[in-house]
Amino acid sequence: MRIRGGTFLLAGLAVVALASALPAQTAKQPGSTKPEAASAPAPEHDITGVWNMHAPPAARRFFGNTWSAEPPEMTPWGTEKYNAAKPSNGPRTHSLKETDDPVLRQCLPPGTPRIYLQPFPFQIVQTPKELLMIFEYDHTVRQIFMDGRPHPEDLTPTYMGHSIGKWEGDTLVVDTVGLNDKTWLDRDGHPHSDQLHVIERFHRVDRDNMQMDLTMEDPKALAKPWTSKLYFQLRPDWDIMELVCTDNGAFEDFEK
Amino acid sequence: MISGRAVATIRELISMGENVKITRVRFLALCMGLLTMTAAAYAHHGSANYDTAKSITVTGVATGFDFVNPHVQIFWEAKDETGAVQKWQGELTSPNRLTRAGWTKSSIKPGDAITISGYPTKSGAHEIWIQKVVMGNGEELPTGGGN
Repeated sequence: MRIRGGTFLLAGLAVVALASALPAQTAKQPGSTKPEAASAPAPEHDITGVWNMHAPPAARRFFGNTWSAEPPEMTPWGTEKYNAAKPSNGPRTHSLKETDDPVLRQCLPPGTPRIYLQPFPFQIVQTPKELLMIFEYDHTVRQIFMDGRPHPEDLTPTYMGHSIGKWEGDTLVVDTVGLNDKTWLDRDGHPHSDQLHVIERFHRVDRDNMQMDLTMEDPKALAKPWTSKLYFQLRPDWDIMELVCTDNGAFEDFEK
Repeated sequence: MISGRAVATIRELISMGENVKITRVRFLALCMGLLTMTAAAYAHHGSANYDTAKSITVTGVATGFDFVNPHVQIFWEAKDETGAVQKWQGELTSPNRLTRAGWTKSSIKPGDAITISGYPTKSGAHEIWIQKVVMGNGEELPTGGGN
């Protein structure tokens, strides 16, 4: 096979794009414990268990640090904050001495929704009053109130926000407001304000698989809503482990 | 993981310019390797100090093993080409991810023969972002992803 250098580079990009677009069914990934047999049906209105994010091949290039292959459309305020950010993850990687990532620099909670991008599982516990998400990363807890209450007026902003949920058919719709602006939307430095509004739509496809449609709205930071689709696998043989962020105090010891 | 040989191959191909000869199989493998490498680099914090376009392999004897957050550390000694003993260290992913891949805090003990492969530092310091661990008996320990 004899090709021109320029053609070679173009062909390389095309193959990379093609490879990243291959559907999930084409290759079992190393380390995957996805069942070979078809999963049992999903139980009704029950998403309890330990779940782990499983990025399909098309998303694997970016899910380590952000929500979509294409960047979100930001407002001038958002663009300015993004350009000033010094992430350690992603293509704009900075050393651990230089980064101003609030999670790496100050051990602040990742907040909603960035917590999903921390590469660790979470457990869902359901009670009549609320659905609890217990994230392995720093034992972060989210409360999603299921008792029909509305969001309170004049909320004090928090890292995880105020979440209320309801079932629409077999989909759990979670609405979150009251988020502070101390965190980033992702590990790549996309900012948000305290006007952030997060909508999550959880759909348990079968016993072992759950999908979540994520929508982030923030009139101060985002010119239009930013959407993503997340895929989770049930891990019945896993327990949530401990991971304490302040144990990472030696971060800079890893500096090279 | 992209191998040192694959990296050398793409450099040779680019430098050859107009008269590049490759096989389709090797080229596809090369692209998949680059894809995997990029994903791992994005997922790992503190990757700025490593040259992810290169891969090196260093064989030696373990002197320490810290099963700690955020990244597990291995320390070892290896002889250079003159026979002088050099100190090396490398980082893996988190202990939680490695635990689920089968590791324990005793997986590597001082005195164990180990062969470590991964990305070298840009500075030349004897440190590696570890992608592959092979014990003296030939057993490969899974490195649990790039985070």
